[in-house]
Amino acid sequence: MSAAAEPRETVSGPFAHPALFYRDDQEYLEGTVPFVREGLAAGDPVAVAVPGDRLRMVRDALGDAADTVRLLDMREAGRNPGRIIPGVLRAFADAHPAEQRVRIVGEPVWAGRSATEYPACVQHEALINAAFRGRTVTILCPYDAVRLSAQVLADAHATHPTVIPAGARPARDSEAYAPDAVVARYNEPLPLVVDAMTFPFVAQSLASARYAASDEGRRLGLTGVTLEDLVLATAELTTNSVVHGGGSGVLRIWAEDGHVLCEVRDGGRMTDPLAGRRPPSRDQRGGRGLLMVNLIADLVRVHTGDEGTTIRCWFTR
Amino acid sequence: MGNRHRTPYVPGTPAPCLTVRPLEGCRGVRVAGDICLATRTIWERVLEQAVREGEAVYHLELSEVTFVDVAGAGALAAAAGRLEDGRRFVVRRPPPALCRVLDTFWPDLSTIEVSMT
Repeated sequence: MSAAAEPRETVSGPFAHPALFYRDDQEYLEGTVPFVREGLAAGDPVAVAVPGDRLRMVRDALGDAADTVRLLDMREAGRNPGRIIPGVLRAFADAHPAEQRVRIVGEPVWAGRSATEYPACVQHEALINAAFRGRTVTILCPYDAVRLSAQVLADAHATHPTVIPAGARPARDSEAYAPDAVVARYNEPLPLVVDAMTFPFVAQSLASARYAASDEGRRLGLTGVTLEDLVLATAELTTNSVVHGGGSGVLRIWAEDGHVLCEVRDGGRMTDPLAGRRPPSRDQRGGRGLLMVNLIADLVRVHTGDEGTTIRCWFTR
Repeated sequence: MGNRHRTPYVPGTPAPCLTVRPLEGCRGVRVAGDICLATRTIWERVLEQAVREGEAVYHLELSEVTFVDVAGAGALAAAAGRLEDGRRFVVRRPPPALCRVLDTFWPDLSTIEVSMT
């Protein structure tokens, strides 16, 4: 049980964000279950958001205590990494008084994550630090030290201020911790797709851009709520280009494998890395468009720089 | 899919519009069209008027509204938040996306009642 206290001991501020490296199921449970149990014993609200198979394992190990833990399948709740901070972590943490410590086991990176998803995953891990600075929250992130690549494991040392090496506890500070550099490094260009419906827009043609997205989405096989989501995402992204991104942009829609993709390019530059990840205060008027896109899309990738901003969203067909 | 949407915007493309008519038989308005950036001012004026009316129940008939963006839903939530105790908006047959946005960001807003009839 001694492992559970370690993440807290190594942090200077109230926020703790350790990466837990595990090599097998036993190490997984030894790293996570005492962390959960200690939280419950202290009266801390606890959530576990990990892939479904791991979730069942943790739930079984907790027994009856699992009833008092918020359990979420990260493959669903965190399919889009951009959704995890507002939709999972802060949704849980913000529901409790600020002075009460909240504990979350969050596993956003697993071996099945695609190369397309990964930059969004690692940026998400890096941005957790800025999103929770000063908060009385501990987020423990398990990493599969056997099945994840050396690059992924190295990145985890850069996105977490604290690391718990596999089989070599206790926790220690990560010397490689450099979250801003990770966000910048994975701000990867999104190459132009040629074979796509292409629709340049300005303020006066926002509605036409939306109709075009609706027609093309339907033609590519989207129906019902997913088609509505594509249209809503298109509306929000194109409107952002008109209002914040230089007044115009280019919308593209195409299909790729099992997804319909919607992309908006404009001449603006995103300066706030947490844009679209910050839950708005209740009375805040605007600023929910990109957040809504993060909440409804299956994946969102962003590239921003001096030459402009590209936001690409995936919707499963 | 026709090719008409593949062409870039040219002057003359109809701009989205929002029309507002009084309802018969109860206090409120029937709104038709798109609630988006181009019509936001009109929509906010409708909501401003709805708050000012002072009626206990004010109806917003939205069955002919084809689209509401997130800011449009936000304007509705903000207006509903300004209603005094005992007053409410009844939003009739809104587009599904409006319900999704309201459920996402303002799930416990008691001054909006959604009616599908």
